Amino acid sequence: MSDIKTVLDETPFQTAGPFLHIGCLPNAINIEGVFDNDLGVKPFANQHNDKFITITGSVFDGDGKALDDIMLETWQSDENGVYSPESGFARFVPNSLTKKFNLYTLKPGFINNIDGKTQSPHILLSISSRGLNMTLNTRIYFEGDDLNNDPLLSTAKNSRNDVSSLVAKKIDEDIYLFDIFLQGDKETIFLDI
Amino acid sequence: MVEALIKRNLKTHPQLNFPDYKSSLLRAPKNKKISFSSTSTEISGPVFNKNILGKLDNDLTLNFSKNNILPVGHKIIVFGTISDQFANPIEGALIEIWQANAAGKYLHHNDSNTAPIDPNFAGCGRYITSSKGYYEFITIQPGPYPYQNRGIEWRPMHIHFSVFGKSFGQRLITQMYFEGDPLINSCPMVNSIPDEKAKQSLISTLDTSRYNTQKLLSYKFDIILRGTNQTFFENRKEGL
Ligand SMILES: [Fe+3]
Repeated sequence: MSDIKTVLDETPFQTAGPFLHIGCLPNAINIEGVFDNDLGVKPFANQHNDKFITITGSVFDGDGKALDDIMLETWQSDENGVYSPESGFARFVPNSLTKKFNLYTLKPGFINNIDGKTQSPHILLSISSRGLNMTLNTRIYFEGDDLNNDPLLSTAKNSRNDVSSLVAKKIDEDIYLFDIFLQGDKETIFLDI
Repeated sequence: MVEALIKRNLKTHPQLNFPDYKSSLLRAPKNKKISFSSTSTEISGPVFNKNILGKLDNDLTLNFSKNNILPVGHKIIVFGTISDQFANPIEGALIEIWQANAAGKYLHHNDSNTAPIDPNFAGCGRYITSSKGYYEFITIQPGPYPYQNRGIEWRPMHIHFSVFGKSFGQRLITQMYFEGDPLINSCPMVNSIPDEKAKQSLISTLDTSRYNTQKLLSYKFDIILRGTNQTFFENRKEGL
Protein backbone atom coordinates (compact mmCIF):
# COMPACT_ATOMS: atom_id res chain seq x y z
CA MET A 1 0.00 0.00 0.00
CA SER A 2 1.36 3.38 -0.91
CA ASP A 3 1.34 6.35 1.42
CA ILE A 4 -0.30 9.69 0.86
CA LYS A 5 2.20 11.65 -1.19
CA THR A 6 3.66 14.69 0.52
CA VAL A 7 2.76 18.06 -0.92
CA LEU A 8 6.06 19.60 -1.99
CA ASP A 9 6.64 23.33 -1.68
CA GLU A 10 6.27 25.29 -4.90
CA THR A 11 9.52 26.87 -6.12
CA PRO A 12 9.51 30.48 -4.84
CA PHE A 13 9.19 33.49 -7.10
CA GLN A 14 11.98 36.04 -7.52
CA THR A 15 11.78 39.42 -9.20
CA ALA A 16 11.98 39.34 -12.99
CA GLY A 17 14.38 42.30 -12.73
CA PRO A 18 14.84 45.13 -15.25
CA PHE A 19 16.25 42.95 -18.04
CA LEU A 20 13.44 40.39 -18.48
CA HIS A 21 12.97 41.42 -22.10
CA ILE A 22 16.20 39.60 -23.02
CA GLY A 23 14.58 36.26 -22.24
CA CYS A 24 10.92 36.99 -22.96
CA LEU A 25 10.87 39.56 -25.78
CA PRO A 26 14.39 39.63 -27.28
CA ASN A 27 13.32 40.84 -30.73
CA ALA A 28 11.48 43.76 -29.12
CA ILE A 29 14.81 45.05 -27.71
CA ASN A 30 16.68 44.40 -30.96
CA ILE A 31 18.31 41.10 -30.00
CA GLU A 32 17.70 39.61 -33.40
CA GLY A 33 18.59 36.25 -34.90
CA VAL A 34 18.27 34.14 -31.75
CA PHE A 35 14.52 33.36 -31.73
CA ASP A 36 12.51 33.64 -34.97
CA ASN A 37 9.62 35.38 -33.22
CA ASP A 38 8.79 36.75 -29.79
CA LEU A 39 5.94 34.80 -28.22
CA GLY A 40 2.52 36.38 -27.72
CA VAL A 41 2.87 39.14 -30.31
CA LYS A 42 -0.61 38.26 -31.60
CA PRO A 43 -3.06 36.60 -29.19
CA PHE A 44 -5.31 35.36 -32.03
CA ALA A 45 -3.11 34.98 -35.10
CA ASN A 46 -5.81 33.42 -37.28
CA GLN A 47 -8.51 35.99 -36.62
CA HIS A 48 -9.31 38.97 -38.78
CA ASN A 49 -8.25 42.42 -37.53
CA ASP A 50 -11.72 43.94 -37.94
CA LYS A 51 -12.98 41.78 -35.08
CA PHE A 52 -10.49 43.21 -32.60
CA ILE A 53 -10.97 45.65 -29.76
CA THR A 54 -8.19 47.85 -28.37
CA ILE A 55 -7.32 47.96 -24.68
CA THR A 56 -4.97 50.78 -23.79
CA GLY A 57 -3.55 52.08 -20.52
CA SER A 58 -0.49 52.67 -18.35
CA VAL A 59 0.99 51.13 -15.22
CA PHE A 60 1.70 53.74 -12.51
CA ASP A 61 4.07 53.38 -9.54
CA GLY A 62 3.57 54.95 -6.07
CA ASP A 63 4.88 58.32 -7.34
CA GLY A 64 2.33 58.35 -10.15
CA LYS A 65 5.05 57.70 -12.72
CA ALA A 66 4.03 55.63 -15.76
CA LEU A 67 6.42 52.69 -16.13
CA ASP A 68 7.98 51.31 -19.29
CA ASP A 69 10.57 48.81 -17.98
CA ILE A 70 7.96 46.15 -17.30
CA MET A 71 6.34 43.19 -19.07
CA LEU A 72 2.60 42.57 -19.34
CA GLU A 73 1.03 39.23 -20.18
CA THR A 74 -2.62 38.43 -20.83
CA TRP A 75 -4.61 35.21 -21.04
CA GLN A 76 -8.19 35.07 -22.25
CA SER A 77 -10.96 33.11 -23.95
CA ASP A 78 -12.21 33.70 -27.48
CA GLU A 79 -15.44 35.60 -28.29
CA ASN A 80 -17.47 32.48 -27.39
CA GLY A 81 -15.93 32.15 -23.93
CA VAL A 82 -13.81 29.15 -24.90
CA TYR A 83 -10.20 28.73 -23.72
CA SER A 84 -7.85 26.93 -26.06
CA PRO A 85 -4.13 26.30 -25.44
CA GLU A 86 -3.13 27.52 -28.93
CA SER A 87 -4.50 31.06 -28.71
CA GLY A 88 -5.45 33.84 -26.31
CA PHE A 89 -2.00 34.57 -24.86
CA ALA A 90 -0.33 37.96 -25.38
CA ARG A 91 2.87 39.56 -24.16
CA PHE A 92 3.71 43.25 -24.55
CA VAL A 93 5.48 46.29 -23.11
CA PRO A 94 4.36 49.92 -22.83
CA ASN A 95 5.61 52.25 -25.54
CA SER A 96 8.83 53.91 -24.28
CA LEU A 97 7.70 57.41 -25.38
CA THR A 98 3.97 57.43 -24.54
CA LYS A 99 4.29 54.88 -21.65
CA LYS A 100 1.03 53.39 -22.89
CA PHE A 101 0.38 49.77 -23.79
CA ASN A 102 -1.99 48.72 -26.55
CA LEU A 103 -3.54 45.27 -26.71
CA TYR A 104 -5.39 44.37 -29.91
CA THR A 105 -7.50 41.33 -29.25
CA LEU A 106 -10.91 39.65 -29.41
CA LYS A 107 -13.44 40.73 -26.84
CA PRO A 108 -13.84 37.59 -24.68
CA GLY A 109 -17.30 36.05 -24.23
CA PHE A 110 -19.19 34.86 -21.15
CA ILE A 111 -17.38 31.83 -19.74
CA ASN A 112 -18.81 28.61 -18.29
CA ASN A 113 -16.93 28.01 -15.07
CA ILE A 114 -16.00 24.58 -13.64
CA ASP A 115 -18.55 25.04 -10.83
CA GLY A 116 -21.41 25.46 -13.30
CA LYS A 117 -21.63 29.25 -12.81
CA THR A 118 -21.06 31.83 -15.53
CA GLN A 119 -18.17 34.27 -15.45
CA SER A 120 -18.53 37.69 -17.05
CA PRO A 121 -16.16 38.39 -19.97
CA HIS A 122 -12.66 39.18 -18.68
CA ILE A 123 -8.96 38.96 -19.41
CA LEU A 124 -6.34 37.80 -16.89
CA LEU A 125 -3.46 40.30 -16.81
CA SER A 126 -0.07 39.77 -15.17
CA ILE A 127 2.70 42.31 -14.52
CA SER A 128 6.35 41.39 -14.02
CA SER A 129 9.11 43.91 -13.34
CA ARG A 130 12.01 45.12 -11.27
CA GLY A 131 10.78 45.87 -7.75
CA LEU A 132 8.07 43.19 -7.86
CA ASN A 133 9.26 40.15 -5.91
CA MET A 134 6.32 38.22 -7.37
CA THR A 135 4.42 38.64 -10.61
CA LEU A 136 1.15 40.54 -9.96
CA ASN A 137 -2.15 39.31 -11.35
CA THR A 138 -5.39 41.16 -11.94
CA ARG A 139 -8.41 40.94 -14.28
CA ILE A 140 -9.81 43.25 -16.93
CA TYR A 141 -13.63 43.30 -17.06
CA PHE A 142 -15.54 45.55 -19.50
CA GLU A 143 -17.82 48.49 -18.89
CA GLY A 144 -21.20 47.81 -20.49
CA ASP A 145 -21.21 44.06 -19.77
CA ASP A 146 -23.43 42.43 -17.15
CA LEU A 147 -21.09 42.17 -14.16
CA ASN A 148 -23.68 41.27 -11.52
CA ASN A 149 -23.27 37.50 -11.30
CA ASP A 150 -19.53 37.08 -11.73
CA PRO A 151 -18.06 34.84 -8.97
CA LEU A 152 -14.70 36.65 -8.71
CA LEU A 153 -16.27 40.12 -8.62
CA SER A 154 -18.63 38.91 -5.87
CA THR A 155 -15.68 37.60 -3.84
CA ALA A 156 -13.80 40.87 -4.35
CA LYS A 157 -16.84 42.89 -3.23
CA ASN A 158 -16.82 40.99 0.08
CA SER A 159 -13.46 42.51 1.01
CA ARG A 160 -13.41 45.82 -0.96
CA ASN A 161 -16.17 48.37 -1.39
CA ASP A 162 -14.98 49.49 -4.75
CA VAL A 163 -14.10 46.99 -7.47
CA SER A 164 -14.06 49.53 -10.29
CA SER A 165 -10.28 49.11 -10.69
CA LEU A 166 -11.08 45.76 -12.34
CA VAL A 167 -13.34 47.29 -15.01
CA ALA A 168 -12.00 48.81 -18.24
CA LYS A 169 -13.76 52.02 -19.29
CA LYS A 170 -15.24 52.25 -22.73
CA ILE A 171 -13.74 55.40 -24.25
CA ASP A 172 -14.80 54.88 -27.86
CA GLU A 173 -16.34 52.27 -30.13
CA ASP A 174 -14.24 49.10 -29.49
CA ILE A 175 -11.66 51.04 -27.44
CA TYR A 176 -11.24 50.49 -23.70
CA LEU A 177 -9.02 52.22 -21.11
CA PHE A 178 -7.47 50.15 -18.33
CA ASP A 179 -4.94 52.01 -16.15
CA ILE A 180 -3.17 50.08 -13.39
CA PHE A 181 -2.09 51.68 -10.11
CA LEU A 182 0.48 49.70 -8.12
CA GLN A 183 -0.03 51.88 -5.00
CA GLY A 184 -1.97 54.82 -3.61
CA ASP A 185 -5.64 55.86 -3.32
CA LYS A 186 -6.46 54.21 -6.61
CA GLU A 187 -4.45 51.02 -5.99
CA THR A 188 -5.65 48.28 -8.34
CA ILE A 189 -7.07 45.09 -6.84
CA PHE A 190 -4.56 42.26 -7.29
CA LEU A 191 -5.43 38.59 -7.12
CA ASP A 192 -3.87 35.58 -5.41
CA ILE A 193 -4.57 33.32 -8.38
CA MET B 1 -7.71 21.24 -19.02
CA VAL B 2 -6.73 20.18 -15.50
CA GLU B 3 -8.56 20.41 -12.16
CA ALA B 4 -8.49 23.35 -9.78
CA LEU B 5 -5.06 24.36 -8.49
CA ILE B 6 -4.20 23.87 -4.85
CA LYS B 7 -3.93 27.07 -2.87
CA ARG B 8 -0.61 28.87 -3.07
CA ASN B 9 1.35 28.90 0.22
CA LEU B 10 2.52 32.52 0.33
CA LYS B 11 4.91 31.77 3.23
CA THR B 12 7.26 30.00 0.82
CA HIS B 13 7.29 33.05 -1.51
CA PRO B 14 9.02 36.44 -1.17
CA GLN B 15 7.32 39.37 0.54
CA LEU B 16 6.23 42.02 -1.93
CA ASN B 17 6.93 44.86 0.51
CA PHE B 18 10.58 44.37 1.40
CA PRO B 19 12.32 47.69 2.18
CA ASP B 20 15.85 46.16 1.96
CA TYR B 21 15.09 45.85 -1.76
CA LYS B 22 14.60 49.52 -2.54
CA SER B 23 12.87 49.09 -5.90
CA SER B 24 9.98 47.40 -4.08
CA LEU B 25 9.13 50.61 -2.17
CA LEU B 26 7.27 52.35 -4.99
CA ARG B 27 6.06 49.25 -6.81
CA ALA B 28 4.78 46.70 -4.29
CA PRO B 29 1.02 47.07 -3.69
CA LYS B 30 0.04 47.78 -0.06
CA ASN B 31 -3.30 45.98 0.04
CA LYS B 32 -3.70 42.25 0.51
CA LYS B 33 -4.34 40.20 -2.61
CA ILE B 34 -7.84 38.79 -3.04
CA SER B 35 -7.96 35.00 -2.65
CA PHE B 36 -10.52 32.88 -4.47
CA SER B 37 -10.88 29.30 -5.67
CA SER B 38 -9.46 28.89 -9.14
CA THR B 39 -11.78 29.27 -12.11
CA SER B 40 -11.49 28.00 -15.66
CA THR B 41 -9.41 31.14 -16.36
CA GLU B 42 -6.46 30.20 -14.14
CA ILE B 43 -6.79 26.46 -14.74
CA SER B 44 -6.36 26.83 -18.49
CA GLY B 45 -3.28 28.33 -20.08
CA PRO B 46 -1.24 28.60 -23.26
CA VAL B 47 0.69 25.51 -24.30
CA PHE B 48 3.66 25.91 -26.61
CA ASN B 49 4.56 23.55 -29.40
CA LYS B 50 8.13 22.29 -29.83
CA ASN B 51 8.04 23.57 -33.41
CA ILE B 52 8.62 27.13 -32.09
CA LEU B 53 12.13 26.09 -31.04
CA GLY B 54 15.23 26.53 -33.15
CA LYS B 55 18.10 24.04 -32.90
CA LEU B 56 20.30 26.30 -30.79
CA ASP B 57 17.62 27.85 -28.59
CA ASN B 58 18.98 26.07 -25.49
CA ASP B 59 22.67 26.54 -26.33
CA LEU B 60 23.54 30.10 -25.28
CA THR B 61 27.20 29.55 -26.22
CA LEU B 62 26.25 29.21 -29.90
CA ASN B 63 22.89 30.93 -30.45
CA PHE B 64 24.42 34.43 -30.80
CA SER B 65 28.01 33.59 -31.76
CA LYS B 66 29.52 35.23 -34.84
CA ASN B 67 31.75 33.15 -37.13
CA ASN B 68 31.71 30.30 -34.58
CA ILE B 69 33.61 32.33 -31.99
CA LEU B 70 32.60 31.17 -28.52
CA PRO B 71 31.62 33.68 -25.84
CA VAL B 72 34.18 34.37 -23.10
CA GLY B 73 33.86 32.46 -19.82
CA HIS B 74 33.32 29.00 -18.39
CA LYS B 75 30.98 26.84 -20.41
CA ILE B 76 28.52 25.09 -18.11
CA ILE B 77 25.44 22.86 -18.27
CA VAL B 78 22.32 23.81 -16.33
CA PHE B 79 19.77 21.00 -16.15
CA GLY B 80 16.97 19.57 -14.05
CA THR B 81 13.33 18.59 -14.05
CA ILE B 82 10.02 20.37 -13.79
CA SER B 83 7.39 18.63 -11.71
CA ASP B 84 4.26 19.54 -9.76
CA GLN B 85 3.81 19.56 -5.99
CA PHE B 86 3.05 15.82 -6.03
CA ALA B 87 6.31 15.04 -7.89
CA ASN B 88 4.56 14.33 -11.20
CA PRO B 89 6.90 15.39 -14.03
CA ILE B 90 5.47 18.08 -16.33
CA GLU B 91 5.99 17.44 -20.01
CA GLY B 92 5.75 20.30 -22.49
CA ALA B 93 6.58 23.09 -20.01
CA LEU B 94 8.21 26.12 -21.65
CA ILE B 95 11.31 27.48 -19.88
CA GLU B 96 12.81 30.80 -20.93
CA ILE B 97 16.06 31.97 -19.34
CA TRP B 98 18.09 35.19 -19.39
CA GLN B 99 21.37 36.13 -17.76
CA ALA B 100 24.42 38.39 -17.68
CA ASN B 101 27.60 37.42 -19.52
CA ALA B 102 30.81 36.26 -17.81
CA ALA B 103 31.67 39.89 -16.93
CA GLY B 104 28.28 40.50 -15.29
CA LYS B 105 26.87 42.60 -18.17
CA TYR B 106 23.43 42.22 -19.76
CA LEU B 107 22.82 42.88 -23.44
CA HIS B 108 20.14 45.47 -22.57
CA HIS B 109 19.84 49.23 -23.13
CA ASN B 110 18.96 49.74 -19.45
CA ASP B 111 22.11 48.06 -18.09
CA SER B 112 24.38 50.88 -16.92
CA ASN B 113 27.09 48.55 -15.57
CA THR B 114 30.47 49.50 -17.13
CA ALA B 115 31.54 45.86 -17.71
CA PRO B 116 32.02 44.89 -21.39
CA ILE B 117 29.38 43.39 -23.68
CA ASP B 118 30.37 40.07 -25.24
CA PRO B 119 29.57 40.31 -28.97
CA ASN B 120 29.04 36.55 -29.09
CA PHE B 121 26.62 36.29 -26.19
CA ALA B 122 22.99 37.44 -26.03
CA GLY B 123 22.11 35.67 -22.78
CA CYS B 124 18.72 34.24 -23.77
CA GLY B 125 17.62 30.65 -24.20
CA ARG B 126 14.49 28.54 -24.16
CA TYR B 127 13.46 24.91 -24.00
CA ILE B 128 10.33 22.75 -23.78
CA THR B 129 10.52 19.87 -21.29
CA SER B 130 10.59 16.22 -22.43
CA SER B 131 8.21 13.47 -21.25
CA LYS B 132 10.08 13.12 -17.96
CA GLY B 133 9.93 16.88 -17.31
CA TYR B 134 13.64 17.15 -18.16
CA TYR B 135 15.36 20.29 -19.44
CA GLU B 136 18.93 21.29 -20.25
CA PHE B 137 20.80 24.45 -21.21
CA ILE B 138 24.39 24.94 -22.30
CA THR B 139 25.59 28.37 -21.31
CA ILE B 140 28.37 30.52 -19.81
CA GLN B 141 28.79 30.95 -16.06
CA PRO B 142 27.22 34.39 -15.42
CA GLY B 143 29.32 36.91 -13.50
CA PRO B 144 28.09 38.70 -10.36
CA TYR B 145 27.28 42.38 -10.94
CA PRO B 146 26.92 45.64 -9.01
CA TYR B 147 23.62 47.52 -8.81
CA GLN B 148 22.25 50.53 -6.98
CA ASN B 149 20.25 49.54 -3.89
CA ARG B 150 21.25 50.73 -0.39
CA GLY B 151 24.34 52.15 -2.06
CA ILE B 152 26.17 49.87 -4.47
CA GLU B 153 25.52 46.20 -3.77
CA TRP B 154 26.42 43.04 -5.66
CA ARG B 155 24.02 40.44 -6.98
CA PRO B 156 25.16 36.84 -6.57
CA MET B 157 25.66 34.91 -9.82
CA HIS B 158 22.23 33.94 -11.13
CA ILE B 159 20.12 32.92 -14.09
CA HIS B 160 16.55 34.24 -14.48
CA PHE B 161 13.89 31.60 -15.25
CA SER B 162 10.37 32.04 -16.64
CA VAL B 163 8.20 28.90 -16.70
CA PHE B 164 4.81 28.04 -18.23
CA GLY B 165 3.19 24.78 -17.09
CA LYS B 166 -0.28 23.77 -18.30
CA SER B 167 -2.26 26.39 -16.37
CA PHE B 168 -1.77 30.13 -16.22
CA GLY B 169 -2.03 29.70 -12.43
CA GLN B 170 1.19 27.63 -12.54
CA ARG B 171 3.13 30.46 -14.16
CA LEU B 172 6.43 31.10 -12.36
CA ILE B 173 9.23 33.66 -12.69
CA THR B 174 12.26 33.04 -10.50
CA GLN B 175 16.07 33.04 -10.31
CA MET B 176 18.56 30.21 -9.94
CA TYR B 177 21.70 30.71 -7.82
CA PHE B 178 24.96 28.73 -7.67
CA GLU B 179 26.06 26.50 -4.80
CA GLY B 180 28.84 28.07 -2.74
CA ASP B 181 28.42 31.67 -3.94
CA PRO B 182 29.31 33.88 -0.92
CA LEU B 183 27.05 36.71 -2.19
CA ILE B 184 23.82 34.72 -1.75
CA ASN B 185 23.45 35.25 2.00
CA SER B 186 23.44 39.04 1.87
CA CYS B 187 21.21 39.39 -1.20
CA PRO B 188 17.98 41.25 -0.32
CA MET B 189 16.09 39.62 -3.18
CA VAL B 190 16.94 36.16 -1.81
CA ASN B 191 16.23 37.34 1.74
CA SER B 192 12.77 38.63 0.79
CA ILE B 193 11.78 34.93 1.11
CA PRO B 194 11.15 34.38 4.84
CA ASP B 195 11.32 30.58 4.71
CA GLU B 196 14.87 29.20 4.91
CA LYS B 197 14.10 25.93 3.10
CA ALA B 198 12.38 27.83 0.28
CA LYS B 199 15.45 30.05 -0.07
CA GLN B 200 17.75 27.03 -0.30
CA SER B 201 15.58 25.53 -3.04
CA LEU B 202 16.74 28.30 -5.41
CA ILE B 203 20.41 27.28 -5.12
CA SER B 204 21.50 24.85 -7.82
CA THR B 205 23.94 22.11 -6.88
CA LEU B 206 27.16 21.14 -8.63
CA ASP B 207 26.62 17.73 -10.20
CA THR B 208 29.94 15.93 -10.39
CA SER B 209 28.56 12.80 -12.09
CA ARG B 210 27.68 14.91 -15.10
CA TYR B 211 31.12 16.51 -14.93
CA ASN B 212 32.77 13.12 -15.42
CA THR B 213 30.92 12.31 -18.62
CA GLN B 214 30.56 15.76 -20.22
CA LYS B 215 33.80 17.43 -19.07
CA LEU B 216 31.72 20.48 -18.24
CA LEU B 217 30.75 21.87 -14.86
CA SER B 218 27.08 20.98 -14.48
CA TYR B 219 24.51 22.52 -12.18
CA LYS B 220 21.22 20.83 -11.27
CA PHE B 221 18.15 22.96 -10.61
CA ASP B 222 14.78 21.26 -10.14
CA ILE B 223 11.62 23.35 -10.32
CA ILE B 224 8.28 22.62 -8.68
CA LEU B 225 5.09 24.18 -10.08
CA ARG B 226 1.71 24.19 -8.37
CA GLY B 227 -0.23 20.92 -8.16
CA THR B 228 -3.91 20.39 -8.83
CA ASN B 229 -6.74 19.02 -6.71
CA GLN B 230 -7.09 16.18 -9.18
CA THR B 231 -3.70 14.73 -8.34
CA PHE B 232 -4.30 15.51 -4.68
CA PHE B 233 -7.45 13.38 -4.62
CA GLU B 234 -5.89 10.62 -6.71
CA ASN B 235 -3.02 10.39 -4.30
CA ARG B 236 -5.31 10.47 -1.32
CA LYS B 237 -7.36 7.59 -2.66
CA GLU B 238 -4.18 5.55 -3.02
CA GLY B 239 -3.34 6.15 0.59
CA LEU B 240 -6.70 5.04 1.99
FE1 LIG C 1 19.74 39.68 -12.98
